[in-house]
Amino acid sequence: MATPRRSRRPRTTLLILVLASVTIITLDARGGFHRITSGLRTVAADAFSPVRSGVDDVVEPVGSFLAGAVHYGAVRQQNQKLQAEIDQLRAERTAQVDTEQRLQQLSALAHLPFVGNLETVPAEVTNYGTSDFAATVDISVGRDDGVQLNMPVVGMGGLVGQVVQANHSTSTVRLITDGQSQVGVRFGPGANSLAVISGHGPGKPLSAGLVPTNTPLPPGTTFITSGLPNAEFPGDIPVATVTSSSNGATASQESVNLEPLADLSHLRYVSVLLYGPSS
Amino acid sequence: MTVREAARVTLVVALFVTVQQTLMLDLRLGPVHPDIMILLPVVAGLVGGPGSGASMGFGAGLVADLFLPTPFGLSALVGCIIGFTVGITTLALDRTAGWLPPVAAFGASALYEVIYAVLGSVLGQPQMIHVDLTQVVLVVSVVNAVLALPALRLVGWALPAASIEGVPTSTVSSGTLR
Repeated sequence: MATPRRSRRPRTTLLILVLASVTIITLDARGGFHRITSGLRTVAADAFSPVRSGVDDVVEPVGSFLAGAVHYGAVRQQNQKLQAEIDQLRAERTAQVDTEQRLQQLSALAHLPFVGNLETVPAEVTNYGTSDFAATVDISVGRDDGVQLNMPVVGMGGLVGQVVQANHSTSTVRLITDGQSQVGVRFGPGANSLAVISGHGPGKPLSAGLVPTNTPLPPGTTFITSGLPNAEFPGDIPVATVTSSSNGATASQESVNLEPLADLSHLRYVSVLLYGPSS
Repeated sequence: MTVREAARVTLVVALFVTVQQTLMLDLRLGPVHPDIMILLPVVAGLVGGPGSGASMGFGAGLVADLFLPTPFGLSALVGCIIGFTVGITTLALDRTAGWLPPVAAFGASALYEVIYAVLGSVLGQPQMIHVDLTQVVLVVSVVNAVLALPALRLVGWALPAASIEGVPTSTVSSGTLR
């Protein structure tokens, strides 16, 4: 009679792989190994950049064709005499309006009042993040364009985020709504009071820490970057406005909710400020 | 695993990561996009058993981590756990049943996302637990359930025939396992 015997090999495999994973995570959290993983990520992003562009070039016309077909059907129901040429003209008009809007946005980005004399690199947002667990966007410029790690990124309205991965031709930007984002800011009369704005994830309001209780903060109060020495952001960039404030859970701090001034959910073009703390 | 099988597995992983990084990133439902990389350890667990599931989860997870802003190695850790779990929990089931891959993909994807968020939060990324986890779980699980059968065929083509690893030898000799 055969004796029931369960192989231990899969469990050993699992144990080894779990230990390997934990080791990798631990090493990545420390300095030296992180440079290796960051380099690998850069290589992967650079390798996939042309693949993404190629697939987008193939998929976009198909999507446009299907959208056009649906649109044509709806119009035909409304008016039987509508001809395909009119559809084409409308499509061209839409494309023209789209181009004009892009031009306006790019032109506006080139003349953002709060940027001052800082050198900027305009970029197109190519992807809204690769993870469901982090608020990031990918942009179309990288180290070849002068972009470096931790450089600030601005858009229409104000601060968008910070470069957290700079590849050769693309970069990843951590938005100010991300849970890891913290921005030193000033506010109040004369913009003399200091605070820190923290993100809490996509779609969630920002919060401001270090705001003393009973600080008058009517909705609409604007917070701007502090620009303190060695700060990661240059000063006077609008960041967010107050939506509500109340006495916080602690006795010494006001609970302040804010919304970003830049429209982070519809980002199309942004500008990377070629700025470092030593600038 | 032979060189030919390793090449096939590499090809399948490359295909999955390409689709994930192109089509799936554009396929957004609200702020959430599908994550088909999770399917690899799930179907590998179904095809090859717990050991294959764990190995595929680790390898595919490391590849996925190259493109994610979350801690490097986290996808590999969760992937090998999920692959092993799927392999071990489905050993006693009829793996030829049509309902099994979609159900396993749905359940395992949901479990993956929850473990991923919790472990990420523990590892210094507190925002990961504050996302709309219900929405993430629903989108990822449903899409993976829909794509489970084609993924199973692909991974079945790449991996060796169903393994008997982890199964009581008496059961194997009696011929009850497929």
